[in-house]
Amino acid sequence: MPKLTIDGEELEVPSGTTILQAALGRGQEIPHYCYHPGLSVAGNCRMCLVEVEKAPKLVIACSVPVTDGMVVNTDNERVKEAQAAVQEFLLINHPLDCPICDQAGECRLQDYAFSHSTGKSRFVEEKLKLNKAVDIGHHVTLDQERCIQCSRCIRFCDEVTKTGELAFFERGNQAQIGIHPGKRLNNPYSGNVVDICPVGALTLKEFRFETRIWYLENTPSVCAGCARGCNVMVSVGNKQKEMTSPGQFDDRIKRLVPRVNHAVNGHWMCDEGRLSYQRLDAAPRLLSAQAPQGALIEWEQAIVTGAAQIKQAAQSGRAAAILSPRLTCETMFAWKDLFDELGGVRFGIERIASGEDDDLLLRADKGANSTGASWILGERADAEAIVDAAISGKIDTLIMVADPLDPEDTRRLPENLLLKVKNVIYVGPFLDQTAESASLLIPAAAWAAEDGTMVNFEGRVQLVRRCHMPRGEGRPGWRVVEDLREAAGLESRGWTSSADVLESLAKNVTPFGGITEERVGLLGATGVAAAAAGS
Amino acid sequence: MLGTEFEKAVDEIVARYPEPKAAMLPVLWEVQRAKGWIDGASEDWVAQRLGVSSSHVHGVVTFYTMYKRNPSGKYHIQVCTTLSCMLRGCDELVGHLEKRFKIKIGETTPDGKFSLMRVECLGSCGTAPMFQLNDDYHENLTLDKVDKLLDNLP
Amino acid sequence: MEKILTRNIHRESSQSIEVYESNGGYQALRKALGSLSPDQVTEQVKKSGLRGRGGAGFPTGLKWSFMPKEKSKPHYLLVNADESEPGTFKDRLLMEEDPHLVIEGSMLSAYAMHADACYIYIRGEFVHGTRQMQKAIAEAYQKGYAGKNILGSSWNCELVLHVGAGAYICGEETALMSSLEGNRGWPRVKPPFPAQFGVWGCPTTINNVETLACVPFIIERGAEWFAAIGNDEKNSGPKLYCLSGHVKRPGVYEAAMGLPLLDLINEFGGGMLHDDRPLKACIPGGSSVPVLTAAECDVNLDFDSLAKVGSALGSAGIMVMDSSTCMVKALLRIAHFYAHESCGQCTPCRQGCGWLEDILDRIEHGKGRAEDIDLLKSIADNIEGNTICALGEAAAWPVQSFVKRFRPEFENHVTEGRCVVAAPA
Repeated sequence: MPKLTIDGEELEVPSGTTILQAALGRGQEIPHYCYHPGLSVAGNCRMCLVEVEKAPKLVIACSVPVTDGMVVNTDNERVKEAQAAVQEFLLINHPLDCPICDQAGECRLQDYAFSHSTGKSRFVEEKLKLNKAVDIGHHVTLDQERCIQCSRCIRFCDEVTKTGELAFFERGNQAQIGIHPGKRLNNPYSGNVVDICPVGALTLKEFRFETRIWYLENTPSVCAGCARGCNVMVSVGNKQKEMTSPGQFDDRIKRLVPRVNHAVNGHWMCDEGRLSYQRLDAAPRLLSAQAPQGALIEWEQAIVTGAAQIKQAAQSGRAAAILSPRLTCETMFAWKDLFDELGGVRFGIERIASGEDDDLLLRADKGANSTGASWILGERADAEAIVDAAISGKIDTLIMVADPLDPEDTRRLPENLLLKVKNVIYVGPFLDQTAESASLLIPAAAWAAEDGTMVNFEGRVQLVRRCHMPRGEGRPGWRVVEDLREAAGLESRGWTSSADVLESLAKNVTPFGGITEERVGLLGATGVAAAAAGS
Repeated sequence: MLGTEFEKAVDEIVARYPEPKAAMLPVLWEVQRAKGWIDGASEDWVAQRLGVSSSHVHGVVTFYTMYKRNPSGKYHIQVCTTLSCMLRGCDELVGHLEKRFKIKIGETTPDGKFSLMRVECLGSCGTAPMFQLNDDYHENLTLDKVDKLLDNLP
Repeated sequence: MEKILTRNIHRESSQSIEVYESNGGYQALRKALGSLSPDQVTEQVKKSGLRGRGGAGFPTGLKWSFMPKEKSKPHYLLVNADESEPGTFKDRLLMEEDPHLVIEGSMLSAYAMHADACYIYIRGEFVHGTRQMQKAIAEAYQKGYAGKNILGSSWNCELVLHVGAGAYICGEETALMSSLEGNRGWPRVKPPFPAQFGVWGCPTTINNVETLACVPFIIERGAEWFAAIGNDEKNSGPKLYCLSGHVKRPGVYEAAMGLPLLDLINEFGGGMLHDDRPLKACIPGGSSVPVLTAAECDVNLDFDSLAKVGSALGSAGIMVMDSSTCMVKALLRIAHFYAHESCGQCTPCRQGCGWLEDILDRIEHGKGRAEDIDLLKSIADNIEGNTICALGEAAAWPVQSFVKRFRPEFENHVTEGRCVVAAPA
């Protein structure tokens, strides 16, 4: 393992590590633009120039592997001059767009202008004019003037999606990012180029002019779009005194960006997942408990009524539930626990599938917690069987535990079912068609409004976090069940938080053995391994 | 796209290299020879044939100065204006040509017969000033020689 | 010195293989394949002191020795016929007039490199040269000098002409490789070096046309003979000098390495173009190398002598400027070249070259400011050493050297607001 001295400190690194990787590995920032750990090394921005003793010229840290005994200075006058020079060169033709550019506040060019430049411009010539606000794809807008030609976006399309939509056209200072005339940047992962663009050259249409990033509150969580469970950072608009129309709230999700997790999604996420939060607006929210025809009722009343309907139907084996595969493990466990104790309740998991698994991240199974469902609720009881039973007149009380992300994914109940079932209880966040066909509506938290865990298709338990308060009277699914349990005269489990529920899960469901919120942390944990480790 | 003869020629070219992509420059020359210039559809064809994206091909076409992205004049006059030619009077030559054709550098005459382009060192510094007319170098030029040459073009 | 590299140039039908062979051509290749191992060929070239004639002057034998000893992948020899350095036109001469010399040199070198194929990358503008080379290559294949079982040996090596499309940067080794692979001509970060990881990931050597043209003579007449030509063994062999600019007889002249610059101008070149306009400045090695004032022109044209006076032999493109030359305009013209030819890959060159041209344009047209002159130097200093390839230095050195040696002329442009060098009618 070669030993390196960097700014006076000795460091041992695995063979093949570059100077930049060695520095980043110990939390030291060497400024850079074109390097990205998920892409090949380009070495073209020249911002990471450092001094290596005995080398005649400065070298780029991103591409030079550490050799034993190498002595590197990243912080002396010579290096600082080079950094300031590169920064100056990058700014001479860069448009003064900061006041209108989405990237402001998370822009490397801005950051390094503060930290690594002279702060003065010596350029008095005409800046180059290129195309601005170019629509290059469903989700991406290009501003050629802002581009610093780092080539990250091109490398992403070449190496990760292997679709090659983007390339450099022209040469010299006319070199500009573009797409073949007539073509579109529409691969399923196009949004990632916005994440990796160090400046505001590539921006996401859905986020354009939406807000300033310093008004965002960021919470690490997991996407509920499919069974991959890409790790994300959910950004909620907060601290903004924006006047919105009545009934809306100013803490809304403004965007999702991927979080790095090499066991799940690497550095990336798909566009479908990235924009999945928009589905939360596909239907109005269910804010209070309701009876049919929009008659609002007290929470207590709804719970008592609901508990009675469930208990009675269960007693004659005529109760059933259809659960969304996107519910948290905690919510699923709470329902299972209730059904087990009552006895006589059939339950099935909804299936949501579309498309195919691809070579990258997308899964055909859109049930983010399908695996959690099979672990907790047993080998996939099918929602279809429940529907058939209901249509055949075998069910008195049907509980629809709705999809917390997408109202379209909670099935619409057909007339012939509604005629046969006495009580349809909707538990979920939306006032959609399914809810409106119900006889009792109980609001539950949507995705990103409650804490909990989900298990991805590879058996990884991951934490979904509450990023904002549930709307109206909505509360976490497992808490609804607690209330129903009490009203049904059963003993309360005494859960006060999702962590409590997880503890019960860990005790009662084998694959969750040894799992705690701590162990799961930000990057998830595999249940079986945890069990084997014997916490 | 441009006929079986063309595709055969392309196959022959591709066979000279260990990877199809390496045939890029010669194949683009074939396209330009056949069509006079390289359009988007040709770029799509080349991309498909060589296993790359159309954007990659467009990136290549726009990088190299000799690939034409638009039809040019029948006679494409490329005047060298780098240092040695400058020392031997190429600026005067350019002025003379602009006056004769009533166009500026970078333009084509309205009848489509002549286009005038400024280029960098053509490796003819010992016989400056000079220009390249389509494929041919015309060296040791004087204004008289130029007029005679251009007058006698078919 | 007898004509060596140019011995065939003025013969009738010099391009034909018959003429080439009848004057001793391909004897060296026969000798090598018959009695020398590839390593022995490399040894000879090392001993000869041959240094690259493309611009860098790197010892050729040493470069060849970088190729792997064990062959595990195909090996390639690339011939850099992309001659685009302003002031340079010697490779063109060889390819147009004596293509078989280039071919024999290439095949000999390919043999030394254990090459499986040799690609000659010729610039797109050299249409006439391309035609000559194509014809000659076909002739060479016919006679068994290229292709399978060359001259009856077990060695196979294809010889392919690859035509460029207008990009000076493709004369840079790694950019040439990128271009050959079918990409934009972007230089590559080194390491890895071509001998380890070159075209298509295989060990590759790239040499200039004139460099390779020397090899048949080294093999035929011996390394010692070659090393003895010139003033010292570190600067040896016959050299093609390209003379252009304000002289009576511009052209390519062959002489022993180390010819005095003033001899080239006065003896070979017939002296200054106009008797009443004396020598003012001279760029001795193609526009990328630092300019010399007239006083500095009393120097020998070899690698080390020119390095000593702060310039370089480079591609031996000697550009002569007389007293009528406006140095600001000349530098502007050079700066335009680099701005136009910059590939755009790395920040300092991409942005810096254009900036230099903009400033020089203002100075030349009377809109310069006093601080612009130091700014030029600062920008050039900021490009130098910080780029992926030597085009950065090539753009920086002219600016630094012109400003340093002719500063008063730049200052005058600024204070007078116009060009002050009287250009005669």
